[in-house]
Amino acid sequence: MQTEATLAHADVSELDLVRRCQAGDTEAFDELVTRYRTRVFSMIYNMVHSEQDAWDLAQDSFLKAWKSIKRFRGRSSFYTWIYRIVINVTIDWLRKKHVKGAGTEFDDAIQLREVDPASKTVPKTEALPYETMERGEIRVRIDQAIAQLSPEQRAVILMKEIEGMQYHEIAEALGCSIGTVMSRLFYARKKLQNLLRDVYENI
Amino acid sequence: MKTFEEEWTAWVDGQLSGPELSEFEASLPDKAAAEAEKTGALKLGELLKRELSARTLTNEEFFSHQLRESVARLRETPAGQARERRSIWWTIPRLLWTGGASLAVFLVFTVLVMHEKNPAEESQYLTQILNARVDPVVSPNATVSIFEVKQDRVTVLWTEGLQSLPADYAAK
Repeated sequence: MQTEATLAHADVSELDLVRRCQAGDTEAFDELVTRYRTRVFSMIYNMVHSEQDAWDLAQDSFLKAWKSIKRFRGRSSFYTWIYRIVINVTIDWLRKKHVKGAGTEFDDAIQLREVDPASKTVPKTEALPYETMERGEIRVRIDQAIAQLSPEQRAVILMKEIEGMQYHEIAEALGCSIGTVMSRLFYARKKLQNLLRDVYENI
Repeated sequence: MKTFEEEWTAWVDGQLSGPELSEFEASLPDKAAAEAEKTGALKLGELLKRELSARTLTNEEFFSHQLRESVARLRETPAGQARERRSIWWTIPRLLWTGGASLAVFLVFTVLVMHEKNPAEESQYLTQILNARVDPVVSPNATVSIFEVKQDRVTVLWTEGLQSLPADYAAK
């Protein structure tokens, strides 16, 4: 567990990295990416359920962050700021997919077939170990249940339950009110409880 | 005023306390069922955290490498360089400061110029010096003034330095 001093040190360092990024230091940006890449990727993956799409969206998010880093004024934490970009990028992508794919975008099998060969993905000819790992039935049930939520509900429940963010942090990241966050959380939980009751009751 | 959904969420997350908590719990029609739902929501949260937190990014270094290349490409493009220049010199606060300073300078100059052009405070007399009718040969130092008291509608003709009264000045 981090002490307050450690946290303060981490905050100062992060702010220092941001300042250096704003001056055009790409090494400082690389350091920020290293700190957040796994969490950002994981967040996106849990929303889109496709490793390749999550990879591309995470790349896009960080690139957008680099482009707009000069506008970051430090009023919120960098973590909240980058999440706002990530969530906007991912929700936009989900909406576009929904319009184009008529609701098939949440089907994992279809997603893997539809990956554009020219997309900015990991170059590979065989499935990654990540994909070849046998996914447990529980994981599949959870993914299917989350796929039935709206993009905004997915974002809210993942930020709350996985990232452990506070209501006001989620509201800031999503650009909405705290009341809206709580309301979305209510409906997301209700839906997931209905879909996964047998799973969590039998563990 | 919080909605039911907001209160419920706050209750599940343990964010209600004091009178707010007791009021909400009193408003529940079936407290046992509500407690069961709350327990279910907490179990759901634990399940999600356990199952979804484990996702990791494979090829982390390649991810960073790819991003470094994208950033480098972005910086090499004229648009990227122009963006950097613009963002350095024409940030919104800088524009606001420039605009504000220009406006202040404009106002100062306007006030100074207008102040100089303003006539002195208006007297109750309207004075008009008439030189046209005085013959400079006859009366070289003559001046003729008209004073008008506006309120009383009185006009005074004041002459000085006349050596002889011109014929057309004679009162009729």
